[in-house]
Amino acid sequence: MFKQFFRKDIVFCLALGANANNATEWSKFIDREMRGDRSHAEIMMTIETPNWSRTLEIESDVEGKKQALSTINSPAKEKGIRTLRIENNMWNYFPKLKRKVAVSSSMLLASWMGSDFTNEDILKASSMAEDYEHKFVPNQKIEGTEYRVIENTAKSEAKVMWPKIVTYASPVDCLPRQYRYYDKQEKLKRVLYLDDVKTFDGHKLPTKWVMQPENNAKKKTTIIYKNMKFNSSFKPNHFSQKNLTDY
Amino acid sequence: MIAIFLLFLSFSFKTFAKFDADISGNLEGQGRHSWNNEDAKKDLMQDWDDEDFYLIYGNLDGKVEINGSRLEANFFARHSKSDLYENDYIAPQIFTFPNKLVARDVFKLQHKKEVQDSRTELILNKLYYEWDYEEHRFMVGRIYINYGLGEIFNPINPFNQPTGLTAISQVAQGNDGFNFTFFVSDKYTVDFFLLGDKSVNGYEGQIDRTLWVHGEYQFSDKLQFDYVIGEDQKRDKLGAQVRYSFTEAMVFMQTLFQTDYVNNEESHPLWDMMIGYDQQIINKWHIRAEGGYQKLNRYANLNTLSERFLPTEYFIAIANQYEIHPLVKITGTFVNDVKSGFTYFIARNTFDLGHSTEAEIFGYIPVAKGDKFSYPAQKLVTTDIGMALRTFF
Repeated sequence: MFKQFFRKDIVFCLALGANANNATEWSKFIDREMRGDRSHAEIMMTIETPNWSRTLEIESDVEGKKQALSTINSPAKEKGIRTLRIENNMWNYFPKLKRKVAVSSSMLLASWMGSDFTNEDILKASSMAEDYEHKFVPNQKIEGTEYRVIENTAKSEAKVMWPKIVTYASPVDCLPRQYRYYDKQEKLKRVLYLDDVKTFDGHKLPTKWVMQPENNAKKKTTIIYKNMKFNSSFKPNHFSQKNLTDY
Repeated sequence: MIAIFLLFLSFSFKTFAKFDADISGNLEGQGRHSWNNEDAKKDLMQDWDDEDFYLIYGNLDGKVEINGSRLEANFFARHSKSDLYENDYIAPQIFTFPNKLVARDVFKLQHKKEVQDSRTELILNKLYYEWDYEEHRFMVGRIYINYGLGEIFNPINPFNQPTGLTAISQVAQGNDGFNFTFFVSDKYTVDFFLLGDKSVNGYEGQIDRTLWVHGEYQFSDKLQFDYVIGEDQKRDKLGAQVRYSFTEAMVFMQTLFQTDYVNNEESHPLWDMMIGYDQQIINKWHIRAEGGYQKLNRYANLNTLSERFLPTEYFIAIANQYEIHPLVKITGTFVNDVKSGFTYFIARNTFDLGHSTEAEIFGYIPVAKGDKFSYPAQKLVTTDIGMALRTFF
């Protein structure tokens, strides 16, 4: 199995070498590898400041970029809180009070549970391959390692939070090692570091994601993918309000 | 023999049934110092100056699931202590709002103890059995009914008080009866309720019935429509909610019309309306505005602050929440009566202490007095500063 995927990477990266300007194909490959069509993830998130840290355990189901359902499994204060997104509509469900709340899609840019990730990151509301235009910029060497660099600019019609994201990808496995997020003023706002690549159901995925806000070097949020299932078979009404409230 | 039976039972569950059980809860303690409103002293015989008030409350929630059915229960306990209880002053009812933990109550399932300077309540405010099928859900018992977008005023849902202005937040009101939910399609859900209430007459006499329908229809990606219709608390009621989502924000409107009492008791029709706006301004700053009108019920008894807490007839409320640190959230809510000028400010500062524990400093301050013809409840609003410590398990 290892050989099979090793060969796939080599073939893809060789092809990319022959056609060095095809940044869009590269981005599609990253999306296919890391998102798949459907996925079920078990995630551990740790929010850290110098004097404090907090860990949450989450399950996240995603189908394409239109449907997502996340459930918090711990800690006790948030246990059971669920978020459903169907296209641009979002609902939170608080099982202890049996309260379902429709939330504004502007909440996609809200900090998720005090972390440096947003609702958009957790619910995977945007797709780098579909919502951005891509072009290569010169390779860069960071701490002795050379990266292919792709500049992703939001398409005019795309409803995304970040107008520009720069991907630093490994030329070995073609997967990203850094995403740099820029605001409208082209100011760097945060950096996502990705590491510890593992294979789940034939998909390679960096399992350690560290989000570092640019304005606060002492704070960071780390996501560890404990388990990931690609091409999960969800029930027909899995991404429905009935299922949202069935907890 | 017993061991063999337990072994068989365990084997049976594992073989034939999906079994799941969960227990969770929370515990909160509050202390506040309160200063009385001068108008309440003069006009409403609330002749006290300043007092301390202490409250401890908590929930213990249990759930057992077997295949497609579920049993859920919540036990709520509350103990409060203050010298204000000695003369039956009204202020403690504001401090402990919502006072009724069961909105439509047939079975009582509660124990209350009143001594000179304290009150203790033990209530089973949720106890129901649920059957869940592919396209419908059936619940019987004491159930939570929670719908409607209003956080400060939510007139289309008379079965659960919004807690946006109250000091007790970790609570929902129970309702005794049946609920049938029909998931017609991905976009359309209808809830039918048959509820009863005996608490109005102190659990004596007949049951006041509630027949209620709540529908929720998603017209499009941006537009959702809710309607309510039925008979409740001896009035016929009809209402609706419309929600429109922009890319940047959400706007919603509610209205509810209530007829005279259907049994010819002395009354007058009531109606309420509200409009709301909700936006995440930046990733740490959330704003919500709600404004509207609630018709003053001239027959309501001021001494039982059981139905509504909002101390204004015409109101505009603006609630801001800002996360200044992952540990610290600050919330400021202004409520203004546009007719009388009465303005109420609520400030909360929440500190996450880790291990599912948080502390809160709060202040409730009437910053501008209403004129003397204003809504009477405005005079009852005290100035309070306090602290809370809450933990979840």
